[in-house]
Amino acid sequence: MTGPPSDALRPEIRLSFEQGAESASRALSNWIDRPVRLTIGEASMVDLVEATGILGDPDTPVTACAMGLSSGRLSGQVILVFRDRSGFALVDYLMRQPIGTTTSWGDLEQSAAQETTNILGCAFLNAMAGHLPADAEAAPNAEDPGRNPDLIPSPPTFFHEFAGSLLEFALADQAMELDKVLVIRSRFTVGEAATERASTPDVELDWTLLFVPSGASLRALVNSFDSTDSQ
Amino acid sequence: MAIGRWGVAAAPSRLRTLLGSCVGIALHDRIAKLGGLAHIVLPDSRGDAANPGKFADTAIPALIEELDRCLQGKSRGRLTARIAGGACMFQTAGASGQALNIGEMNIVAVERILGSLRIPIVARDVGGEAGRRLTFNLATGVVTIRVPGGEDYEI
Repeated sequence: MTGPPSDALRPEIRLSFEQGAESASRALSNWIDRPVRLTIGEASMVDLVEATGILGDPDTPVTACAMGLSSGRLSGQVILVFRDRSGFALVDYLMRQPIGTTTSWGDLEQSAAQETTNILGCAFLNAMAGHLPADAEAAPNAEDPGRNPDLIPSPPTFFHEFAGSLLEFALADQAMELDKVLVIRSRFTVGEAATERASTPDVELDWTLLFVPSGASLRALVNSFDSTDSQ
Repeated sequence: MAIGRWGVAAAPSRLRTLLGSCVGIALHDRIAKLGGLAHIVLPDSRGDAANPGKFADTAIPALIEELDRCLQGKSRGRLTARIAGGACMFQTAGASGQALNIGEMNIVAVERILGSLRIPIVARDVGGEAGRRLTFNLATGVVTIRVPGGEDYEI
């Protein structure tokens, strides 16, 4: 089975991702007490070789927090990936201390990263699932299709991994379904640059939010690609 | 060696790859100091011939065929295997909802296929929850492994 070629998501599917990003931005802004914007970029279907390079050099060690999420309509893994320096900056924001104060991963620092993943992931997936059109649902609520189903998260885990190995772990489920995998790029901006009135250049954080849908959710999302664009 | 691909090389070359739930199969002929490395993603092609490097049941025979060509048909009885990878970080759900450990499924398939081809596995470093960086020295056949935050070790 092969997936559709690289193309645009159907507008209503893109809107659901944007709603997820909007909700995640609000949740993260409240959490770290400063403006944050998560922007959804290009969506594409790429082969496995290309996908294992989306975090940069596959040999590079990265730090990540992962959690499983199931909303009834949509399920999968949410993974927040960062280089150590960006992760330490996140902890410094949370502790309201000067950037550069945190220099290692103790229990407190790991817990802060895990809780951030929890807040970000739940906000993103809950809002996204709530805005998915009916034909893109992997498992609609049979009793009340209009109701936003409960989100069931698993406890976040914290780990260090090679970037290429992390993506291999994350994409194994998708590889069982398709020869290509769905990649939707995003970026974080923090501080004044994340507001409408920004007068300073963008401050881009080197964090990456990966949403890796389960096989069933992937099938539903791939079916949501605009068929007229995939000819 | 990229995910879902295989390659052949001779000494003094080294072949490298990064593994998660995938398994790396390093086949070596110590007489010719030649070998090959396959990086398989899933255990079974189920008839899918489009991506032979992706599956254990198609990649291993394809790698052996290429090695046999390089050895002018003399590979039988001369190849040994070292395997690594097959870790599990995320459990995944199969079509019927049961939990699947793709890493473990890959290990089982690779060991079964190599056994059926009578290729001895002389060393293995499989399972666990961490990724591995594999380096295959074609001069010696030795495979060196590094896990995140760890030191190199040989198998």
